[in-house]
Amino acid sequence: MNRTLEHILSRVQKPARYTGGEYNAVVKRQDEVDTRFALCFPDTYEIGMSNLGVRILYGVMTRMEGVWCQRVFAPWADMEEEMRREGVPLYGLESGDPIADFDLIGFSLGYELAYTNVLNMLDLAGLPLHAADRRGLAPIVVAGGTCAFNPEPLAPFVDIFSLGEGEDVTVELIQLYRRAREECWEKEEFLQAAARVPGLYVPSLYDAIYRPDGTMEAITPRDGAPAVVTKRIVQDFDKSYFPVDTIVPSTEIVHDRVMLELFRGCIRGCRFCQAGYAYRPVRARDPKLLVEQGIAACESSGYQEMTLSSLSTSDYRPLEGLCDGLLDWCEPRKISLSLPSLRADNFSMGLMERLQHVRKSGLTFAPEAGTQRLRDAINKNVTEADLLQSCRTAFSGGWSSVKLYFMLGLPTETDEDVLGIADLAEKVYQAWREVTPNPRRGVTITVSTACFVPKPHTAFQWEAQVSMEEYRRRVKLLRENMRGRSIKYNWHDPETSFLEAVLSRGDRRLAGVLEQVWRMGARLDAWSEHFSFERWMQAMEACGLDPAFYANRVRPREEVLPWSVTSTGVSTPFLWRERERAYQGVITPDCRKQCTGCGADKLYPGGKCDA
Amino acid sequence: MHRLAFTKADTAKYISHLDLMRTFQRAFLRAGLPIKHTEGFNPHAFVSIPLPLSVGFSSGCEVLECQLLEPVDLAQVPARMTAALPAGITVTGCYEAVRPVKELCWVNYIVTMEYEAGAPFGAERAIQALLARPSLVVNKRSKKARTGWVEVDIIPLIHKATVEERRDSITLELIVRAQNPGLNPELVVSAIVEHCPEAAPDFVCCHRRAVLDKDLQPWT
Ligand code: SF4
Repeated sequence: MNRTLEHILSRVQKPARYTGGEYNAVVKRQDEVDTRFALCFPDTYEIGMSNLGVRILYGVMTRMEGVWCQRVFAPWADMEEEMRREGVPLYGLESGDPIADFDLIGFSLGYELAYTNVLNMLDLAGLPLHAADRRGLAPIVVAGGTCAFNPEPLAPFVDIFSLGEGEDVTVELIQLYRRAREECWEKEEFLQAAARVPGLYVPSLYDAIYRPDGTMEAITPRDGAPAVVTKRIVQDFDKSYFPVDTIVPSTEIVHDRVMLELFRGCIRGCRFCQAGYAYRPVRARDPKLLVEQGIAACESSGYQEMTLSSLSTSDYRPLEGLCDGLLDWCEPRKISLSLPSLRADNFSMGLMERLQHVRKSGLTFAPEAGTQRLRDAINKNVTEADLLQSCRTAFSGGWSSVKLYFMLGLPTETDEDVLGIADLAEKVYQAWREVTPNPRRGVTITVSTACFVPKPHTAFQWEAQVSMEEYRRRVKLLRENMRGRSIKYNWHDPETSFLEAVLSRGDRRLAGVLEQVWRMGARLDAWSEHFSFERWMQAMEACGLDPAFYANRVRPREEVLPWSVTSTGVSTPFLWRERERAYQGVITPDCRKQCTGCGADKLYPGGKCDA
Repeated sequence: MHRLAFTKADTAKYISHLDLMRTFQRAFLRAGLPIKHTEGFNPHAFVSIPLPLSVGFSSGCEVLECQLLEPVDLAQVPARMTAALPAGITVTGCYEAVRPVKELCWVNYIVTMEYEAGAPFGAERAIQALLARPSLVVNKRSKKARTGWVEVDIIPLIHKATVEERRDSITLELIVRAQNPGLNPELVVSAIVEHCPEAAPDFVCCHRRAVLDKDLQPWT
């Protein structure tokens, strides 16, 4: 470790997150490396190391001969200050070398509030923010993750966006880069070639043209770039890479355990859910393989905890068999197994009994809306009876706390729907009274609401977000009607939701806002102690943009949406039809019951979904 | 009861005491060396590090206590454990615990005080004179005290202090009390900063070199 870094580390909080050297971190010999890739997560070490996608891509690249993938996270404010004062540029944890000297720099974009960290990290690396100012072939800045499905606000800063699952396309990109270097291509030549790789979007090859009213006229490709870039998926999920030998941090992180991914995608089709549409189609992993991988990952890491992670875990067909297989191994070794994201409609007794063996953490359900009418409108196919039945099962099994998550401001929501949340909470309380074996212990029912954020590539991508005042009015209405000491009500502030609504459906002009707000000091915006709503609004104003134009405006069907160059495989007519069905209050069956022709099956060469 | 002797250097210096215990618990599993668990509601692998090391210090003489469950060749444990640990931690020995922890009386530290502009003139003598005083009271953080601070006289806790000046640094070799109460060498540095401000270093590097018994012989 270099001396300056040692000096710095003695002065910052939690220095272990800046050193590397963890178990299973891969250090390669410089003389066997021809390409260095900086895998950047634009948030803290604790958050980034908890991200399964980062761990998968790290493993995929590490396995490539000659490629050295190194991790980079956003430094906390104290570390940033020290780095800037001592002139230490952003470095890769594996080598300590400045990432400005790397060949490729890749960002994983999971949420909009991390955008300012991307800018800050480029700056800390000592690189020009704008892609156009980085003239050479190295480093190339790439970005992927869910937010890449509307890449426009970051377009001027990033050379290439990678859409969809990165396992295969990352390898192809590195191969192309090697060729470009060997044949001494100009950066421009390389970018044009990259634009022909399926799944890669090169924003500099597209011109954004606006109308006088601020909406988009067109986004036109140049130099042979495709009009639409469709996301990539892993075709055979059983054959795709799973990180058995994963890095074990030497300091505590948020999700410090083995994460097993049962499947990609979701069969459900909730109309508000970006992940539900963007990760289609469903591809499951074989349960036998999962048991093997789970055991191997525990043995390799020494983790004493395993979690089954997927969008809707209980939709995994062989779930009970899988749990049996894992528990047979886990129980004698006192390794705990947890299952997040259970749905209220198929939370079965059998599963309950198996979970009894392991730790009884709190139970979480997300009905999202308070009335059946609204749940039908958003296609959250959970009935009140299902939910209450699941709660009864849990309460009679000894659970004494339930968290219920809702959104306020969903399209078509009325005050009746808002009050329905209070009713539902009350009914859950009654269910507890009916069945609990230990009434004296009491129960805690926590109701949380967040302001709905319309997202690109969903049925609600054309919707207006309710104004912050309106959200607050609905919160007040709900608060005044929430009775009972056993029911707690938490509501999220609408400021961050509003900003997410602006950024997630923003166009290229918002890049100016990002740069402005970053210059005004914004970073680590996902952390309330660093977030300043005022600063964002000032930056919007300085750039002459109205946030309500992006967040609170209903977009007509014909409008050119800024993300229309990108495709998740789900067709826009399908999304529009889903929107209409929402207004009609008609539900759409899940993919297992019936294929409703979203288009994602075309992502397979054979063209059939295995829901 | 078994003891592991290990060293902590480089990046591993920044692993805190609690994180280090968790790291060892996992490393035993990775090495395939089962150890005894605690009893009770939430059983976990039992490990104990009798003399916690401050974050940022390096050490050549750390000790961890545990109970290996299956019969193993103790001579093989160091290599197996080192392979299962993060970079910077090397297990150098594994043996049956014989001497009680309370016989661990003194710790030998090498404290290097660095000066970017060179060691200040006269600093060596000033520090020698300071540590030769009959008594030297400093404020120490304390969670128990109502003010958050207690006064400690550090002189009785120092068995021996040698000061040596180099071009860009001053090295203190200290033998200080290990426990009940122990003396953290950082407190000696803060006494120097307070009483000889001209000798205040730009950076301090602490290395724990040896743990000793009451006769100043290595404790194992
Ligand atoms: S093509 Fe049909 S089955 Fe496949 S994801 Fe779309 S709706 Fe579901």
